[in-house]
Amino acid sequence: YPLYQLGNPQMRLFRPPFTMTLVRPGKEQPPDTVQFRIPMEITKFDVRNYLETIYSVPVAAVRTRIQYCTNKKRNHLNQRVKRPDYKVAYVQLAQQQTFQFPDIFPETENKYEEGSAEEMQEKFMEDERQRQKPDPRRGGVTEWFGL
Amino acid sequence: MAAAVTCRLSAAFCRQFQRVVTVSSYTQPQYAAQTIYKFQSCQQRAPVYSRALHTSCVRNGLDEFFDLPENWGEPTVKSGAPWTAKQLRTKSNEDLHKLWYVLLKEKNMLLTIEQEAKRQCLQMPSPERIKKVERSMKRLDTVVQERADSLRLLQTGQEKARPGAWRKNVFGKTIWYKFREHPIPWHLNTRYKRKRFYEPLHVAPYTRLSLEKHLKSKVRKERREKRQQEELAEIFPKKTAVA
Repeated sequence: YPLYQLGNPQMRLFRPPFTMTLVRPGKEQPPDTVQFRIPMEITKFDVRNYLETIYSVPVAAVRTRIQYCTNKKRNHLNQRVKRPDYKVAYVQLAQQQTFQFPDIFPETENKYEEGSAEEMQEKFMEDERQRQKPDPRRGGVTEWFGL
Repeated sequence: MAAAVTCRLSAAFCRQFQRVVTVSSYTQPQYAAQTIYKFQSCQQRAPVYSRALHTSCVRNGLDEFFDLPENWGEPTVKSGAPWTAKQLRTKSNEDLHKLWYVLLKEKNMLLTIEQEAKRQCLQMPSPERIKKVERSMKRLDTVVQERADSLRLLQTGQEKARPGAWRKNVFGKTIWYKFREHPIPWHLNTRYKRKRFYEPLHVAPYTRLSLEKHLKSKVRKERREKRQQEELAEIFPKKTAVA
């Protein structure tokens, strides 16, 4: 980035190459807090400007931390493999807005067409599973016990 | 124009239309191109009275980090082809600037979905979309750099944006040294003065050896090619056309 000296015009970055990933919080967060994974080079001010200009989200406060990921894992050649580090930003929304991370993968019932190959496959798999289950008349007692 | 329908343009713009205007009919790309400017004006922090144009704007900006609610839980999501450099060169600078942000938001959305899928130990629907967006962004950047380079060449005649010079480093290699910006002149910069841009005396033999190696391999290659041509000429002698 170009050097900044007192009196220089405000440094502007057109077409920012930085991406921000919204993540579900691991620990319980207050209702107005949104958690992001951001590149290491970004600061709190950058996050605020990014969200306000590109997404027009009112931001009250931003806190960041760097998550160190392990270098202990080893691959099949016994070399240490580093999992990349990442920066996490906790953004608190202004104007008393709340955000709840939605369920993006809801359970959908798969409706197959009549007479299709997938339906027959599914039926076959279900029959197999039924056959593998133990005899319900034995009341949970395993086959190891004779009679 | 039917070919343009499969463009990334229609996929990205149509999705954003479905957010803005709740119309279930398929929107033509021409319609998309005209009304995208109206949509963009809604995106900027415009006063409230200009929003009367749209029926339902994006309620929460954070909704743009997720796909449309109809696509949640689908195993695959349809998407068009990525932008090519040829198509991008036809667009104006303002269009490219806006497209960059459209692609950026799309990438953010896809990365969010990918991370959530990893969290839930499920497969992300259509992961090839991320690569398409990345390639489009790279090509857009290339086109913008091309335009900036040509402008700089025409205005100032400089080929490179960042100034530099050919210098010999400590190892005897001649490299393109890129200049950095400093607030103080070089003769006051102690760290710069410790960097040596000359070859010490004991490194000269190694430079000579590497030069010899390079020349030898060049001569060997030329000789090999000449020998191959002669062998071919022996097998297939040149004969003039006989009437």
